[in-house]
Amino acid sequence: MKLGKSLAFAFVSVLALIWLVPIIMMLVVSFMPPDQRAPRFGGLLIKGVSLKNYATVFEDAEIVMHFINSMAVTIPSVVLVVVISSLAAFALARLQFFARDIWFYLLIMTLMLPIPTLVVPIFQINKALGLNDSYLGLILPYTALGVPFAIVVLRSFFAGFPIEIEEAARLDGCTRLGIYWRVMMPVSWPAVAVVIIWQFMTSWNEFILALVTMNSVDVKPLTLVPLVYSGQFMMRPGPMFAILTLITLPVIIVYYLMQRFMVSGLTAGAVRG
Amino acid sequence: MKGATETRNWLIDNQGLFFMAPAIILFVVFVLYPIFYIFNASLYDWDGINQAVYIGIQNYIEMFTDDRAFAVSIRNSIYWTFLTIFPQMILGFLLAYILTSGIPLQNLFRIIFFMPAIVSPVVLGIIWQRIYAPFGGLLADLAFETDLRFLQQPYLSDPKIAIFSTIFVNVWQWTGFSMLMYVAGLQGLPEEVLSAAEVDGAGARQRIRYIVVPMLKHVHLTLILLGVIGTLQTFALVFMLTKGGPNHATEMLPTYIFLQAFPLQSMGYASAVAVVLLVIALSASIFQVSVLGSRFTIGTK
Repeated sequence: MKLGKSLAFAFVSVLALIWLVPIIMMLVVSFMPPDQRAPRFGGLLIKGVSLKNYATVFEDAEIVMHFINSMAVTIPSVVLVVVISSLAAFALARLQFFARDIWFYLLIMTLMLPIPTLVVPIFQINKALGLNDSYLGLILPYTALGVPFAIVVLRSFFAGFPIEIEEAARLDGCTRLGIYWRVMMPVSWPAVAVVIIWQFMTSWNEFILALVTMNSVDVKPLTLVPLVYSGQFMMRPGPMFAILTLITLPVIIVYYLMQRFMVSGLTAGAVRG
Repeated sequence: MKGATETRNWLIDNQGLFFMAPAIILFVVFVLYPIFYIFNASLYDWDGINQAVYIGIQNYIEMFTDDRAFAVSIRNSIYWTFLTIFPQMILGFLLAYILTSGIPLQNLFRIIFFMPAIVSPVVLGIIWQRIYAPFGGLLADLAFETDLRFLQQPYLSDPKIAIFSTIFVNVWQWTGFSMLMYVAGLQGLPEEVLSAAEVDGAGARQRIRYIVVPMLKHVHLTLILLGVIGTLQTFALVFMLTKGGPNHATEMLPTYIFLQAFPLQSMGYASAVAVVLLVIALSASIFQVSVLGSRFTIGTK
């Protein structure tokens, strides 16, 4: 390595270590023995490794129930976003219809809309429909708010697809729906992967709508769990940080499995002229 | 029967609308209707339960003339915009440049720097509370053990510092996202231009300044656009770190909307704040898209 590269390597190594401190701290504190009273350096130095905090969390916090709640909200919203946005993106990329561009710009406008502007009306809509404290009360808004970004990603992917293949399929008697489902979707997995990761992370981590919609403990997703147990575990960072680790694990796993597609999907979008 | 045939033909010509229907329905119910809703609700004095009382633009008058917390949250949004977006872009670009230059472990480094972006701000808020804690916190202990006394600060309890401590966490969380966008941009740069410049004797610094940075204009603009929207959405991190306090010192428009709507049961006033937030967000976005030419580059370039 040349000197410049060695210096660059040293610089990013040091910075990466500092960058990781909060994440390492989350893990370390979660393994702290419960009898350790005053952890040093915010908990970065512990006197041993123990799984007791995790046991405490599973006993006292019904963490499995909250995990299921998160899944019950996240997975349907991911499925709905993929289906609804890919249908719309196909139409926007490939079909002519009434007010097409207006619909596109209206949908894109949603991307510029801060979600907190919508909490009052969504709370009231859910109340009117009896959806507060129900999974559907989060699934529907998460889907509505996730669809525009997914359309942006998928539309450009579909638009780059060679028109000749579509025409050949048409000549063979394939319907529009058939082209969407049999021709376009099977080759669009890099873009679909980006949509899946993004929607999974936003639904899993979403906070403000969950905070106002889910009032009963039984239906609260994981993202609200630190608030639910902040009183109970106030003086016990161990169990609290075990909860934080358990909340974070699924997104890290999904991201790790999908990150190859993430960069290539983003690059594909950014590069295509 | 002619009418029916015409309708049928129109529907066949416009079958795209069927593909669009689910997206449009969700958009109307959960986006368009709520926008009309907050405009309407902002004209009422309403606790969300009892009969609302029409008061015209009284909520707005109060907000702009007699509401310190609202003024602080506007000021904080301006701080937040400039002190998150530009540091994230500069550091993100630097990292991206290094991490596309072929140093060892560069994929691992990219994953490390991006990781905070995928972790819930709720989780990060609690972790950083522990880093900032005045007693037994990471920075306080570090100050105590190493004589780096300046590290011991009332990070979250001093109204003068708290907003900057909060902004710092945001920069830490999102720099990796800027990096990833620049990595994608750098990988898309035409190799020939860069090597031609090198042959012509342009040094690394000149290449960056005159070729790389200008050619990544669309990435800069996308990051500014996303940064402004991100600033105006900021809720969970502030809520977990400070709840907008002490004494509204870290209040942002979203935390203020929540405070008014739910703990204070003032849905009308909260809607008026939401209208202001909406107007700021849309005009900032329209300005950037139409004047600066920003786009959501992820896909639409």
